[in-house]
Amino acid sequence: MKVIKSWQKYKEKKRMRVNNQNKKMKEGLKMQFSRRTFLKISGATATCAILGDMGFCLMKPKSAYAQNLKVKYGKESTTICPYCGVGCGQIVTASDGKIINIEGDPDHPINQGALCSKGSALYQVANNERRLTKILYRAPNSIKWEIKTWDWAIQEIAKRVKTTRDASFKLTDTAGLTINRTEAIAALGGAAHDNEECYLWSKLMRALGVVYLEHQARLCHSPSVPALAESFGRGAMTNHWIDIGNSDCIMIIGSNAAENHPMAFKWVTKAMEKGAKLIHVDPRFTRTSSKAHVYAQLRPGTDIAFIGGIINYCLLNNLFHKDYVVEYTNASYLINPDFKLSDASGLFSGYNLEKRSYDKVSWSYQLDENDIPQKDKTLEDPNCVFQLMKKHFGRYDVDTVCKITGTPKDVFLTVANTYCQTGTPNKSGTILYAMGATQHTVGVQYIRSYAIIQMLLGNMGIAGGGINAMRGESNVQGSTDMALLFHILPGYLKSPIPENKTLSDYLTKWTPTSKDPKSANWWQNTPKYATSLLKAWWGDKATKENDFCYSYLPKRSGDYSFISLFEAMYAGTIKGLFAMGQNPAVAGPNLNMERKALEKLDWMVVMELWETETAEFWKRPGVDPTKINTEVFLLPAAASVEKEGSISNSGRWMQWRYKAVNPPGEAKDDLWIINRLCKAVKELYAKDNGAFPGPVVDLNWDYGDEPDVHKVAKEINGYDVNTKKQIAKFGDLKDDGSTACGNWLYCASYTEDGNMSARRNPQDAPNNIGLYPQWSWCWPVNRRIIYNRASCDPTGNPWDPNKWVVKWDDVSKKWAGDVPDGPWAPQDKYPFIMNVEGHARLFAQGLVEGPFPEHYEPQESPVKNIISNQQSNPCTKVWNTLGVDLWGTQDKFPIIATTFRMTEHWQAGAMTRNLPWLCELVPDTFVEISKSLAAKKGITHGSKVEVSSARGKMIAYAVVTDRIKALNLNGSTYEQVGIVWHFGYSGLATGDSANCLTPHIGDANTMIPEYKAFLCDIRRLKEVQND
Amino acid sequence: MIKKAVLFDLSKCIACRSCQVACKQWNNLAAEKTTFFEGTGYQNPKDLSPKTWTVVKFFEKKVNGNIIWAFRKHQCMQCSDAACITVCPVKAMTRDEKTDIVYVNEKLCIGCGACQEYCPFGVPHVDENEEKSKKCTSCIDRINDGLEPACVKACLTEALEFGNREELVIKAKARAKELEIAGKRPYIYGIKELKGLNNIYILPEGLDLYDLPKSPEVPKDIGLLNDLLKPYSVFTLTAAAVGLAIGYLKTVRHEQVKEKENG
Repeated sequence: MKVIKSWQKYKEKKRMRVNNQNKKMKEGLKMQFSRRTFLKISGATATCAILGDMGFCLMKPKSAYAQNLKVKYGKESTTICPYCGVGCGQIVTASDGKIINIEGDPDHPINQGALCSKGSALYQVANNERRLTKILYRAPNSIKWEIKTWDWAIQEIAKRVKTTRDASFKLTDTAGLTINRTEAIAALGGAAHDNEECYLWSKLMRALGVVYLEHQARLCHSPSVPALAESFGRGAMTNHWIDIGNSDCIMIIGSNAAENHPMAFKWVTKAMEKGAKLIHVDPRFTRTSSKAHVYAQLRPGTDIAFIGGIINYCLLNNLFHKDYVVEYTNASYLINPDFKLSDASGLFSGYNLEKRSYDKVSWSYQLDENDIPQKDKTLEDPNCVFQLMKKHFGRYDVDTVCKITGTPKDVFLTVANTYCQTGTPNKSGTILYAMGATQHTVGVQYIRSYAIIQMLLGNMGIAGGGINAMRGESNVQGSTDMALLFHILPGYLKSPIPENKTLSDYLTKWTPTSKDPKSANWWQNTPKYATSLLKAWWGDKATKENDFCYSYLPKRSGDYSFISLFEAMYAGTIKGLFAMGQNPAVAGPNLNMERKALEKLDWMVVMELWETETAEFWKRPGVDPTKINTEVFLLPAAASVEKEGSISNSGRWMQWRYKAVNPPGEAKDDLWIINRLCKAVKELYAKDNGAFPGPVVDLNWDYGDEPDVHKVAKEINGYDVNTKKQIAKFGDLKDDGSTACGNWLYCASYTEDGNMSARRNPQDAPNNIGLYPQWSWCWPVNRRIIYNRASCDPTGNPWDPNKWVVKWDDVSKKWAGDVPDGPWAPQDKYPFIMNVEGHARLFAQGLVEGPFPEHYEPQESPVKNIISNQQSNPCTKVWNTLGVDLWGTQDKFPIIATTFRMTEHWQAGAMTRNLPWLCELVPDTFVEISKSLAAKKGITHGSKVEVSSARGKMIAYAVVTDRIKALNLNGSTYEQVGIVWHFGYSGLATGDSANCLTPHIGDANTMIPEYKAFLCDIRRLKEVQND
Repeated sequence: MIKKAVLFDLSKCIACRSCQVACKQWNNLAAEKTTFFEGTGYQNPKDLSPKTWTVVKFFEKKVNGNIIWAFRKHQCMQCSDAACITVCPVKAMTRDEKTDIVYVNEKLCIGCGACQEYCPFGVPHVDENEEKSKKCTSCIDRINDGLEPACVKACLTEALEFGNREELVIKAKARAKELEIAGKRPYIYGIKELKGLNNIYILPEGLDLYDLPKSPEVPKDIGLLNDLLKPYSVFTLTAAAVGLAIGYLKTVRHEQVKEKENG
């Protein structure tokens, strides 16, 4: 019987097939040549279709495959991937105005043709019916979007900007000092934008007097900048992606590089093929751990103890690179005898409990009669940095460390010993880190601890070394360089404070001076950079007589960072918000509070590719739109492949992208939107004065109606005001108003020789370590490895001749190899030219909670700090807005929680949760829990659970796995869970947001939220439903 | 003919699943609706399908308290002794003369599902709407134009390498030795299996972990089908005979599977 049934089924199938083929034959004649059809009509179709009517094709099947390559007839252009900060090259093929294929650029030296799953899915950003194509407006209390025109929207937004600004603008503070700012308008976003867009945004917002100017960088790498700058002089990733391949030992700590910076693993793998060791230190066993020689589990929030232990191990066992430490760090510097190290109190000298801050007078160098710091190169003086450091970290013995971190002792010792082997001159070790390090209340000091171990091992400035702060957004480096952060101006100039009454006050305050003739003290050039910036912004209106319009710059008083911004919004201070490609309704901490804060806005402008959680916060689950007054303008923006401009990757490479197709529908690139908006606001102020109109009316803004991105790029580079010729290098900038420069760091990127960031010469430099000096361009002055003069001994000979970065040629009196950190002979200047003393700082005075990193517990911790009596960071601000800033205790929330990202999704999710291919891979939000916790709570793999903290709840699927383990802390067992945070209520794949659980507290220096360590509880959903 | 092959060095795979997406992009395959993780670990979708020609599988194991998290990209193995070719009644399953690659000639395929039924690796899947069998083509369209398969090109750790089979076999052996010295238990899969696969794996944690049949075979009952078809293959063959044969064999196989399950 079964045989007959099958036969009947077969006959039916065949009948249908014949019918189909007849139909297709007829249609075939009309078929247009398109991507799919030409695959179908190739080969021997016609013949077979006819014979098919008889049931068979008697032709011998064509054995050589006869399809044409689909990309053969398209138009190719190059672009750079818009996801993480690696900056992989891609080739886009377009035909008839549509993108038909995107794949890796085989010539690109970083990715060599490969891509990760996100990069491979970019096609679906360009071809996606979920993209915004119309200008949308939501009226107060409305339940729906209305379709509007660009002209209407730009005009209306400009009016609201002016009204809000005029009503809130303050000329002076209570002390009578000039401030010239508005605190009623806030701006977020920019890390996914081109440098030119970020620059214009920075310029426009400053002209409006906006001080609540923030973006993604605050939430990802804000601690990296002060920690690295305080240690070495600059805040960036020191080496670059390809250079990871030169390393002998790679320690990935506070990062899941294989998942979040997948292309880093191309180079990690290449290093491992040459024999490098890979160490992974992380609370969870991830795809990164799966490839590591050593995996060390540690508790979230304990990196300082872990690295402090390694520093101690290194010092005790004399594994440090002594010559390097003596010559290039401040180890030999003598410190003020009044300085007291942290002891049982957990505090250094000078602490003021009421102010929760330090008086840093005692944290100073002893100076000689010429005001030059005194040194003891024997490192034996008890007041020298080396001895103080030894004493400080002596408290971080193996037992204490492992009691804090929960790492098994043998594993910890293996890590310490393996990594410290790189302390010899011919071995390099690199540290790769990301959000696991930064997102803590002591985040800056985590990175300081990495800096210290790298200094001790002589790993800075060398090939295969460095501290590689891996940036997670394609242009978060560039957007930070362009200063979309309240506390800086482009090129890391400080944004002024009210006490800087004049330009001269400002320059005196922020220009460091050194009496040491061997210190290059590069920041002594601050006046040239600041004056040139003012000239770029206010053009001819900026004259010597009017202080180059210095008064037009808004002055900051205190903190305007992301958390403060949302607290101010919640309090009703902020009336209008721009969210330019940033989605705080998923990415911010304590989301229940932050989403509610959005309701208090009068108006909000969102520039986006998608309808994000932020854009539709007014109709989010559980709220009544008719009760929300906020007006929302949702402006459709262009994706990366639909516009032209540059972005800067994590390794500081500025890379040019080309436009492949037009944006869909009425979408426009952000440069166009910013340009229109600025012109509209300028017009309003020109017509009707308003509050302090000068900076707006006088703003130097001449990019055309359809803005020319090259013109903006040229302004960023800088030009001679009189000759209008492009400046060749920042050494040519002047403080007399004769040069204009939007960002001194980018000087030399677009010269009279053309656009350097568009270069594609695949030749390596003679030292053959993968610098590719003529591929794209890199700041500063195309230097690929910063601090590279420290890769040589004090006579200019490389520590490791086999992979030299630079070397001094005594005959030509020049450096060979990479662009050196200054042209001087090795004996003439110290190598860390951005630090006023010319040395890397083991002991650093500039950070708020101490000159050496000290372990403090996360704000929410299940255990008592055992290294001292100071439980948590003594200097951080604890918010206590009634009813919303809530703190959990161990009795109610006994489980340690951390949040994480993964390969298949990206940040707040809009760029991946709208792409079907990526949603297929990871469709739902989930929490990883240990088998022991699952057993205790009766949770099974794949079941739904509720995770709760003092601030909120979320529902997620449970992944029950051996990869996450309970921790043994000082003899007691503590469970931990990891929660993926990419999800929200908008998009194709939706789910509860992990940030409903995370706390509103930040690092004491930069206010990055402590996303990575807090307390929670977990239960089966069934139990929840039975409640 | 120079046999083309892909070497999968799984010791380098980080399961970023770029291969999976690159495959969908190049071949214009739609996404599937999934929930949570339908395979083990982060695996999605649950299996190969007409819309999914490759899928990365995740394997988690604890050995002496240490965790092994291993990954394997699964797709058509490109067997030398290919059951799908043997069983295909209309010779739609085609071996390319230049490259040795096996692909479905959709013009000939009638979607009967015999290949799906008999593949020892469960690779081909019939699209019920199109009535065509679908599987990885090794991107033969790209190879013919001098490009690597889309998955190989996308692979960022170079765990996937495309080349001449002979050279890759030598490479595989050398790499396995290296891994052995490094303390792994490498197993090379695909040199001898089914008279040689053109997709060769280096399995760093031994064979057992990776959900692969130890000694894959072309199912024995396939011979019967061959015998039935052979005399007719040069002459006109009636649809009924093919249908009958396939129907019969499907049933036989179905029952064998059932017996196995019961026994």
